[in-house]
Amino acid sequence: MGPFLEVLIGGLLTGVLYSLVALGFVLIFKASGVFNFAQGAMVLFAALSLVRFLEVMPLWAALLGSAALMVALAVVIERVVLRPLVNQEPIILFMSTLGITFFIDGFGQSLFGSDVYPLDVGIPKDPIFIAENTFEGGLLVDQVDLWAAVVAGLLVLVLALFFQRTRIGRALRAVADDHQAAQSVGIPLNQIWVIVWSVAGLVALVAGIMWGTKLGVQFSIALVALKALPVLILGGLTSVPGAIVGGLLIGAGEKLAEVYFGPIIGGGIENWFAYMLALAILLFRPQGLFGERIIERV
Amino acid sequence: MIYREAGTFRTTYRADQAVFPIPQDKAFVLGLVAVAYLVVPFVMTDYFFLAILIPFLILALATLGLNLLVGYCGQISLGAGGFMAVGAYSAYKLVSIVPETNLVVAWLFGGVCAAGVGILFGIPSLRIKGFYLAVATLASQFFLDWMFIRITWWTNYSPSGSATAPPLDIFGWVVDRPVEKYLLALTFAVVFAVIAKNLVRGRLGRSWMATRDMDIAAEIIGIRPMGAKLSAFAISSFVCGVAGALWAFVYLGTWEPLAFDINRSFSILFMVIIGGLGSILGSFLGAAFITLLPIFLNQVPAALGLPLSTAMVSHLEFMIFGALIIFFLIVEPHGLARLWAIGKEKLRMWPFPH
Amino acid sequence: MQNGKVIGGPLLVADSISLAFGGVKALSNISLEIREHEILAIIGPNGAGKTSMLNVINGFYHPQEGTITFKGETRRRMRPHHAAEQGIARTFQNVALFKGMSTLDNIMTGRLLKMKRSLWWQPIWWGPAEREEIEHREFVERIIDFLEIQAIRKTPVGRLPYGLQKRVELGRALAMEPDLLLLDEPMAGMNVEEKEDMCRFILDVNDEFGTTIALIEHDMGVVMDISDRVVVLDYGRKIGDGPPDEVRRDPEVIKAYLGEAH
Repeated sequence: MGPFLEVLIGGLLTGVLYSLVALGFVLIFKASGVFNFAQGAMVLFAALSLVRFLEVMPLWAALLGSAALMVALAVVIERVVLRPLVNQEPIILFMSTLGITFFIDGFGQSLFGSDVYPLDVGIPKDPIFIAENTFEGGLLVDQVDLWAAVVAGLLVLVLALFFQRTRIGRALRAVADDHQAAQSVGIPLNQIWVIVWSVAGLVALVAGIMWGTKLGVQFSIALVALKALPVLILGGLTSVPGAIVGGLLIGAGEKLAEVYFGPIIGGGIENWFAYMLALAILLFRPQGLFGERIIERV
Repeated sequence: MIYREAGTFRTTYRADQAVFPIPQDKAFVLGLVAVAYLVVPFVMTDYFFLAILIPFLILALATLGLNLLVGYCGQISLGAGGFMAVGAYSAYKLVSIVPETNLVVAWLFGGVCAAGVGILFGIPSLRIKGFYLAVATLASQFFLDWMFIRITWWTNYSPSGSATAPPLDIFGWVVDRPVEKYLLALTFAVVFAVIAKNLVRGRLGRSWMATRDMDIAAEIIGIRPMGAKLSAFAISSFVCGVAGALWAFVYLGTWEPLAFDINRSFSILFMVIIGGLGSILGSFLGAAFITLLPIFLNQVPAALGLPLSTAMVSHLEFMIFGALIIFFLIVEPHGLARLWAIGKEKLRMWPFPH
Repeated sequence: MQNGKVIGGPLLVADSISLAFGGVKALSNISLEIREHEILAIIGPNGAGKTSMLNVINGFYHPQEGTITFKGETRRRMRPHHAAEQGIARTFQNVALFKGMSTLDNIMTGRLLKMKRSLWWQPIWWGPAEREEIEHREFVERIIDFLEIQAIRKTPVGRLPYGLQKRVELGRALAMEPDLLLLDEPMAGMNVEEKEDMCRFILDVNDEFGTTIALIEHDMGVVMDISDRVVVLDYGRKIGDGPPDEVRRDPEVIKAYLGEAH
């Protein structure tokens, strides 16, 4: 039981990290219908900027600086990409975010360098044992992962409050429901997009801090973030709880599969297991576990 | 004044639906092919063949394949690299098991295997669309990557994980000089371009484009969505598979699974977008552009006395690709091919534009 | 009845059709028949279920209750492409053309079902594939002449004005040589002149090819002029069925559709 639980908890906690990235996707998709492939690149960009700012300034200033940078990025993306492409088909917008991905990856690395940078914002990294009384020897978990779980919980809480209680939040939900209707009651679409992409950028910063602490800030973070895609498919593109549950399922599923199933067929299946799981779900529930059912009309 | 549409009257439907209704166009393209066969082999250096022309032609073939799926049938795929890998490794296994196999047969066999895998991973397209499908094709990419690394049967249990192609012997023609490899790649590219053109202007192409433009209406006029989408997946993957086999056998010679990883898929997709969605000519333009850009970035700043570091060149490449994708999607979704057509339109009026 | 044409037996019979989305009833217990060679108009206020009825007829929606019998063959579940194969063509309320293709190509797609012979010759084009293409091109050119859209043959349909787009859409449906043609508001958003043209096309199609037509239309003048029979729907129920003059006098129809006299 002990080893199984250890794998399970490790997987769930990694899943939380996926959820952090997936949250950013969901925010943008809900508010603008754009499937933002660049969320992973934004995570890398945020983490890179933070780690380089930390070299020359204290933590609070670096955090502010990175946050400001993410907001600036949102403004630029809205101006240069989204505004000219308004009312285009979703698939065109999706491909444009592929372009954004490549641009940000290249831009971030030429600006901030492309080495591996250790990130330390005061989160303890040593693995610890928990539940030593219940199990012999206890369960080994990564402290970073525990912190990530706490942060993710807080983040969801803050976002929920933001959406439910603030004026901007209400406007965002209106836009998510119907672009044209929202526009016709006087909600400025362009501003809303900037806000949403900024919030997604800040979520990316949080995700970047957690991933950066765990793995060091490096290019592979952008690839890890691709794992958020199956999480989204599983949870449904428009659902915040879906992103969390999807992340947990994918995280736990792939770790368990790797440990118990991987050795039989050669190992390393973590790279694709999540995708295949999501694909299987797609075939039976195209809208994901929590997504809204799509009714087609003519 | 030389490039004219006026004066060429098409009096039969046959002439009207020709590939190049305007004689000058036909002359130009035939001339280009003639130059590629008769002049280029005698004037280019080995460096040009190996570093530019061969990769360009083979990647153009892969781009052509992906364009059939993305540009004509509207099914987005981030898995072209995986299908190329299937082509390469199936062909490799066939010649390992049956060494007498003619290489052309082996490559086509690779294409057929890729088509099979393409159909398998295309099945989700019957239920899901757009970015959902993109994620599904990513699944195929990651799975195939893993399979060719971990299942060592594919590489004949080679300890390094790489595979080496046998000497190229086609019907007794030993292809070992760069210029010969170039002619081989050129022939494949030309033949497949003609076939692709014939497919897209006929009934299959129309059913793909109808599915792309409005799948519901397509179904209501009697196009079976399954037939249209899966045939696009199959034929596209077939062409990608053949391109993958050529990439491995003719261009690389010895290759690792990394040669077909997700970056390959992205670069092929970018060739499609930059060249022009739904354009045969665009596939070649896009492939040329993306093959030439890194070489340009490496050579030109150095020649100007501002050599860039390798890392910088690759970052710049990323940035330029990204910016161009956005640029083309905003300004001209039909890519370089459309710019070319606009150029011709201008030329038609020239020198009296009003 | 015009030109002494003979209206035959029922071509399509819808029997007690009920359709619901979630809890919303779109159609309840509707039975109607479409007779050979007639022009049937389906009218009713917005939201009456007219388009849903067409969607059921060509297999786009699957009714929870009831059956559709077409040419004597009863079916419960089918896909739209089966309907097309059996000879049902339709146009849409919001034009559903293939925006990236030219007028000619759009109408040629209507011939796809008839182009079966030359699949394996496609890659090389010369020979059977080309001959088949030309055969169908000739047919399509006749439709283009008939609809008087020769000048826009090669124009991408996305660039055409709305009225012409509707005409191209009709052309695409005609290219299928359907036995039953469903037209969903073929004249919506048109000016008087365009409407007159469209009426003429519809009457000519019915007259020359004997095509059975079921159409949804809001313009009562048009409906009374061209239809042989009228079916009235209201809130998903059928409240009237008969020749135009009779329906026009039906008190329930007047109440539901034309509004009560004030």
